[in-house]
Amino acid sequence: MERTVTVVPEDGLHARPAATFVETATEFDADVRVAPADGDEPVDAASMLAVTSLGVASGEDVRLIAEGDDAEAALDDLEELLTTPETESAAESSSGT
Amino acid sequence: MTPESAPRAHEGTGVTPLSDVGSVVWYDPNADLELDEPPAAETVDPDAERERFEDARERARAELERERDRTAERVGEDEAAVFDAHKQFVDDPQIIDGVEAGVDDGLPAEHAVEDAFEDPIARFEGMDGRMAERADDLRDVRDRLLRLLTDADRVDLASLSTGSVLLAERLTPSDTAQLDSERVAGFATIEGGRTSHAAIFARSLGIPAVVGVGDGLESIDDGTDVLVDGEDGAVIADPTPDQRERAAGGRDVEIREESVETADGRAVEVAANVGTLAELEGAVAQGADGIGLFRTEFLFLDREAPPDEDEQVEVYREALAAFPDGRVVVRTLDVGGDKPIPYLDMPDPENPFLGERGIRRSLGPDADLFETQLRALLRANAAEPGTLSVMFPMVATVSELEAALETAASVADDLASEGLDREVPELGVMIETPSAALTAEALAERVDFLSIGTNDLTQYVMAAARENDRVAELHDPCEPAVLRAIERTVAAGHAGDAWVGMCGEMAGDPDLTELLVGLGLDELSMSAVTIPDVKANIAAVDTADAETLAESATDAATSAAVRDRVANRDHDHNRDSDSDSETP
Repeated sequence: MERTVTVVPEDGLHARPAATFVETATEFDADVRVAPADGDEPVDAASMLAVTSLGVASGEDVRLIAEGDDAEAALDDLEELLTTPETESAAESSSGT
Repeated sequence: MTPESAPRAHEGTGVTPLSDVGSVVWYDPNADLELDEPPAAETVDPDAERERFEDARERARAELERERDRTAERVGEDEAAVFDAHKQFVDDPQIIDGVEAGVDDGLPAEHAVEDAFEDPIARFEGMDGRMAERADDLRDVRDRLLRLLTDADRVDLASLSTGSVLLAERLTPSDTAQLDSERVAGFATIEGGRTSHAAIFARSLGIPAVVGVGDGLESIDDGTDVLVDGEDGAVIADPTPDQRERAAGGRDVEIREESVETADGRAVEVAANVGTLAELEGAVAQGADGIGLFRTEFLFLDREAPPDEDEQVEVYREALAAFPDGRVVVRTLDVGGDKPIPYLDMPDPENPFLGERGIRRSLGPDADLFETQLRALLRANAAEPGTLSVMFPMVATVSELEAALETAASVADDLASEGLDREVPELGVMIETPSAALTAEALAERVDFLSIGTNDLTQYVMAAARENDRVAELHDPCEPAVLRAIERTVAAGHAGDAWVGMCGEMAGDPDLTELLVGLGLDELSMSAVTIPDVKANIAAVDTADAETLAESATDAATSAAVRDRVANRDHDHNRDSDSDSETP
């Protein structure tokens, strides 16, 4: 199962968006791979190294490929993540005032 | 170099408009990480090496968690995110496969780690711009694993002597997370640019810093006196007396250890916000009169079970001991669904900020924890001469406050029956919710003080989440609605005989000092670094003028109009405070 989405976060697939992307991909049993839309070889979405090496910038398309029982759920979650402008800071500290 | 010769300036990119002079400490974190030749393959037990690698990964993850939280607290979530990325590198299947292949070939784990990172680092180094910075991340992760595997000592950046200037090839996120900004006079690096982690860190903590100086920096020896000029982007060894003087003038305003009053004699307490014991020292150094917000969350995070009563007593005593003549306001545990604590049952609600947090948990699922914390606080108060005040976060109703006060009273009774002889500390309530601001009269009648938490108050009054950039414009404490909430809270507090303080970021904004004095606040609590500026500004304020400004600001229709009115006033006062800061 495969889907093409446009990467929205300003940082592209770097730093926090990339870390969240990899973390999410590893939560599923499905084998998830990601590739730039221009046809390059897909890489393991559970590898921060591989995902970061793609150098995907904001506004570029990526292909998401998932195989396995929860492939659809994985694609749904990853698509949502890649199309949400700023990764909502789930870890907002409660230490403020 | 002879003292008479003109000192040579090493030029780089200045990242903070600050200068200071200090004594050079060269930082070479990898000195201990040079590996010997690997032993013969047949003497290596692959299973044992795999286990060592697993163990190192686990410890690396734990360190990264801690550094992440510390950076989030000191600099912000954006900068802390880099540690999340590092954790992903630690768990990367390509790296793990690479290391395991090396181990299977008979390499010790550390050699296998070094090999496994070599290609990826080279790959990123070959790319341009931001991708090249990923090579730094990988080196940082690799060195962390190597250090853990070889039991090399970590160079302890947290305990540099005061007045050190740190020189390094580069400073990684892990390095900067340890720096104690109160001790480091400045730093300079051979590599790095304006957007490097170290640069961002220096800016948010106000450390003079120059990056990207180049190899010339290596000509400066350990122990040399050096001037770091973050404004002009220069590093000068053995600066002339003239240059020193200019550097001292460029550094923050004079530190006033004594408490301050306005030009017409109204005392305003200036206190520090702290979230760890390490920050107490900085608070004292910057001339804080006391602690206006002691966050206790750090005691509870990053562990498997809550701290017991005795452990907490020790921590609170340490805080009280730092200010024997001042006041230490401790906030009881303020957690919610937004920051999970493993041993607490915390569901993950849709909107943690409108959920069960602060006093709501303390009166509910965390009632035991709350009681233990109060016991520890009262015991610490009995053991130290300083003045302890306790405040409750996230109060929305009078009944919540009454329930919290009842708990405090019963804890005090219990301790009295155990022979503890000391009066109950000052009790207060944080004003963070609109409901608390609107019922401040009734709250004030029941407590000794109110403390306005402007970050949350702004978020709730404006219905704009603090972390959502899309509504960042609404998250402005100068919105007239927020100012009016503050105005009525102060009036209500004073009518109820309670002193009123402020411990949000607004309190530490030197541009707003006159406005806050005019609004009638008795205490301002802030990050330690801004204390000297705010103290200087208070001393220049005339209360009657400030009150006129406050009236005009609260009457304004928009935040732009508020800032306009504040800025126009500021014009007159800048001259005063400037001339103040020039006399050291």
